[in-house]
Amino acid sequence: MVATQIAIAPMVIALVTAILTLLTRRWTRVQQATSLLGVGAYAVAVAVMIATIYPDTILTYQLGTWPAPFGITIVADALSAFMLGLTAVLAVPSLVFSVRYIDEFGQRVSYHALFHFMLVGVTGSFLTGDIFNLFVWFEVMLMASYVLVVFYSGPDQTRAALQYVVLNLVGSAVMLLAIGGIYATVGTLNMADVARRLSDPAAYGFDPAPVLGLSALLFAVFALKAGLVPFQFWVPAAYQAAPAPVTAMLAGAVKKVGVYAIVRLYFEIFSAATLPVSLPAIGGESFLAFYGPVLFLLATASIVFGGTGAIARNDIEGLLAYSSIGQVGFIVLPLAIAASIPDLQALAIAAALVYALNHALAKGLLFLVAGAVRSGTGSTDLHDLSGLAGSAPLVSAAFFIGGLALVGIPPLSGFFAKLLVFQTALGGVNLVPLGVALLGAILTIAYVSRAWNRGFWGEQSEIASVFEPDRVQIAVLLALTLAIVLVGVGFDPILDLARAASDSALSREAYIEAVDLHTIEAASGGGGH
Amino acid sequence: MTEAAVYPETVLAVTLGLLFALGTFLVLRRDVVRIVWGVAILSQAANVYLVTMGRIQGGVPILAHGSGGHGPTTDPLVQALVLTAIVIGFGTTAFALVLTYRVYEEHGTIDSFELGRSS
Repeated sequence: MVATQIAIAPMVIALVTAILTLLTRRWTRVQQATSLLGVGAYAVAVAVMIATIYPDTILTYQLGTWPAPFGITIVADALSAFMLGLTAVLAVPSLVFSVRYIDEFGQRVSYHALFHFMLVGVTGSFLTGDIFNLFVWFEVMLMASYVLVVFYSGPDQTRAALQYVVLNLVGSAVMLLAIGGIYATVGTLNMADVARRLSDPAAYGFDPAPVLGLSALLFAVFALKAGLVPFQFWVPAAYQAAPAPVTAMLAGAVKKVGVYAIVRLYFEIFSAATLPVSLPAIGGESFLAFYGPVLFLLATASIVFGGTGAIARNDIEGLLAYSSIGQVGFIVLPLAIAASIPDLQALAIAAALVYALNHALAKGLLFLVAGAVRSGTGSTDLHDLSGLAGSAPLVSAAFFIGGLALVGIPPLSGFFAKLLVFQTALGGVNLVPLGVALLGAILTIAYVSRAWNRGFWGEQSEIASVFEPDRVQIAVLLALTLAIVLVGVGFDPILDLARAASDSALSREAYIEAVDLHTIEAASGGGGH
Repeated sequence: MTEAAVYPETVLAVTLGLLFALGTFLVLRRDVVRIVWGVAILSQAANVYLVTMGRIQGGVPILAHGSGGHGPTTDPLVQALVLTAIVIGFGTTAFALVLTYRVYEEHGTIDSFELGRSS
């Protein structure tokens, strides 16, 4: 009995913390302590969840004890747990960093509550087993992120937020359309039930073909959330506008919600349908055969556009923002290959997850470094900064390690992430994906070394020489740096977790069974009038 | 399907087309307030679409404990979904309008073309 409550524990903890930080606004210290304790408790709850679930338990929690598919089901499997682990590992340092980074007034008014509400949205998205509920969690997450993007409410922030809000509102309308269409076609919103019905459409009396089109509509929304080209245009402005620790969360965790939704819905749920696809050069018996080339094009375009864009940028935050467009391409690339070649799916999803974890750690660290540099010097422009390595060796070391993790140097976390992506790419039909991955790696080396050479090496510029970073900020940066090294050195447990998550994402039958779907007859018989 | 059953769905389909056309037209305007209106109309159109997906066939609303015997009923689930979506849409539209005002305060214009140029 206790075990099922663990499935909703992280969500409840984040929600309660968000409300408590609103109630304790008068007492700054109490509020900060509540917020930090809350995120700590969140991390503990996630750790307990991972320990309970690993390797293949599936926890379900029927909200309001309504039996599935009539109520909303919360499903925590190894995939959800992995994504939550990634979020928790990033949320703790980001929040500690925030306490020393965000001005006191901002913290008191709204920052802590917004941070935790965003965490609630992300957590809910990872845990829900209901497609409409996914929409609701997306909105929770977005609503908090809108306010966090416009947090400083200067000219740049308001403009970036306007763009971000309008795009996501259109995205929400599209998502609602796709969900409504899927409900009208399949007749259910419960993900497990959708999978069950799609695997045998004749028994439920519907034609699965429209679901392909509707899922493509839904896919556009997830690509928008993940910031894949051609839906990337909100990314640089929003990432530059938001406070650094928020950007670390947006790039590290919030973006991954889009990736998670693609893995969960397309590889586990929608792929239940068998539908002959016969477009030119595309053939196959499942929806995934259609998504293979689509994902590949998006991944390639993201890697090239993000990489070249990052090389052209002259400020660290802009460079990192473009870099995260390219890095999401790296996460999606193995998925693209696996969509076309079913045998590779287990390896590919594990590769995508490990890469997502590496990106969360490395990009989170780099954005926090950018934040530390901005708060210490007032600028992150590579024209103004030079020789930071002399005045702030520890911050520079953190940037160096984070950059190397992005490039993929052993023994850092990035090495194994890149290795798994390349391994998947080698299994492809031809060597084009491998070429794309290599090109992306070269672009990464180019922009990381450019940022390092311009900003951290060389003669000390005037503002760099007076840079005295905050001690707590340094401690956070070093902790994340250590995490990157540890993930790389002790990679085996991480790989096991990722493999368990990937196996879980591919065991549709176990998922359906765990959700324990009732039929109308059984429910009305049991309910009694 | 009888003629009476086809009628409301046809009307709704035409309405939906008009709403989406209007919403898209407004989103593509230069004036930020119109863009926000356009987004609001798009999200309302999505709501109308959801209700339409409940298969309005001239059926009665669902009765107590689904005791049946009253002919076809309209799907109540989509209406619950739309209620949720309306609440969310209300909040986001209000936020977008306030944001528009902040944009005007910061930039002195709500022309999206000039906003883009001022960067």
